[in-house]
Amino acid sequence: MKKNIRLIAQILFVIAFLILWQILYSLQIWPPLLFPSPGMIAEAFVKAFTSKGLGPMILHSLRLLLIGLLLGVSVALLLSALSAINEVFAAIYNMIVSMFDLIPGIALIPVAILWLGIGDGAIIFMVFHSVVWPMSRSIINGFNSVPNIYLEVGQNIGLNRIRLILGVFIPAALPHIFSGLKVGWARAWRGLISAEMVFGGGTALGIGYYITDRRTNLDVAGIFATIIAIILIGLVVEYGIFMVIEKNTFSKWGMTR
Amino acid sequence: MTEEKKTPILRIRSLTKQYDNSQRVILPRIDLDVYPEDFLCILGPSGCGKSTLIRCIAGFEDYEGTIESNGRIVKKPGTDRIMVFQDFNQLFPWKTVVNNITYALKASGMADKKARIAKAEKYLKKVNLFDYKDYYPHQLSGGMKQRVAIARGMALGSSIILMDEPFAALDAMTRNRMQSELLHIKEKESMTVVFITHNIQEAISLGNRIMVMSRNGEVKEHLYNTLEKPVTPATPGYGALWKHLNDLLTEERADDK
Repeated sequence: MKKNIRLIAQILFVIAFLILWQILYSLQIWPPLLFPSPGMIAEAFVKAFTSKGLGPMILHSLRLLLIGLLLGVSVALLLSALSAINEVFAAIYNMIVSMFDLIPGIALIPVAILWLGIGDGAIIFMVFHSVVWPMSRSIINGFNSVPNIYLEVGQNIGLNRIRLILGVFIPAALPHIFSGLKVGWARAWRGLISAEMVFGGGTALGIGYYITDRRTNLDVAGIFATIIAIILIGLVVEYGIFMVIEKNTFSKWGMTR
Repeated sequence: MTEEKKTPILRIRSLTKQYDNSQRVILPRIDLDVYPEDFLCILGPSGCGKSTLIRCIAGFEDYEGTIESNGRIVKKPGTDRIMVFQDFNQLFPWKTVVNNITYALKASGMADKKARIAKAEKYLKKVNLFDYKDYYPHQLSGGMKQRVAIARGMALGSSIILMDEPFAALDAMTRNRMQSELLHIKEKESMTVVFITHNIQEAISLGNRIMVMSRNGEVKEHLYNTLEKPVTPATPGYGALWKHLNDLLTEERADDK
């Protein structure tokens, strides 16, 4: 019942937003070229997939995004685990995270281009940079907040350090790791799109390239259509993957309210 | 003392504990022998160092002096000395009841999966929780969680079970029931227990030996409890023993002022 009310409220909000948009459009405050109607955006959305080839570009971008995300999460897990085992390493790694987390990805694009050339490698690098630092912060934070009693029980039943990491630290910190993953996922998109927009017109084709391409064609409806495609992917991942995993792991274990 | 013919399972000599950041000596040269099948209750006022003592035995703390378990010097936690904590959160919330036990068995080196499950189920039956084996810990009451923790210790074949006020956070009725269940298990299984409490009734009901600690961490008195079990307030000698122990503890309170 409560769940239904929430869903209805969400749908009503979207409808109200679209109506407001349509009203603003009808008032003709801005030229339709710059402020298209929802209908024009919907049309551009369909056209993007049917005749302009946005589908394959999205798949191309998603592939790079997933590779970068996976690399970022794996490296963050590995280095955070080493931090949990070794204090000296933890001190150094904490410093590295503090330094690199604040560097905007876009500032590293020139370096990425010079080192890796224009192409997939540089884009994966950008996604990796966007993911690995916030992810590390969340994991380290999660490891630090593991209740001492779990660690003492783990030692008592004979777990060595590595099994303590895999068997106690990671499951106990899962809520933190997961919220890190959500931040990482959002940051990965920023890294991806900004890199693709800068490289746009080169060899790499992708969502960012498509947005730049629409801009040069003064196709504002097309730009919004692409943004909607990104939003839809985000919604599917949030509700279809993240929430399902959450429900079947730490929510089931009573580790969240 | 009549127990000299047996060899102690736990032998403590000149145990001294002092935290680095404090002048205060918590445990000044404690000597203690625990023999097989002993049920030793350590009774003392809050802050007397009884928890520190049991944590030293468990291997969670550094100490000066010697602690030997089965003839081996205690340096770190081990499955020969399983601790049952006061905190209900001593089960891993991400594992079901039965898996909390099988995981501990696996960690302690039991390779055969079927044998692990059989053993875990056997001990869950002993604490009357077989029907709850597939529950997650957050679905259990505090008393049930403590029984699972006791079952885990027994399944591990621990030669001494260390209990640090395991029933202190339970309501009075559950606490009484847990006490009689523990006695019942103790009668059937040959187990050795060191049990920390600040509750006189609990010490008299459970222990065949009672050690009273003073506020400054010294052993104030060490006696054999010869009252026949199950002990109730109607048992002859209960009143006298209760008064004697209460006087010892009241002295401690007076000394404090």
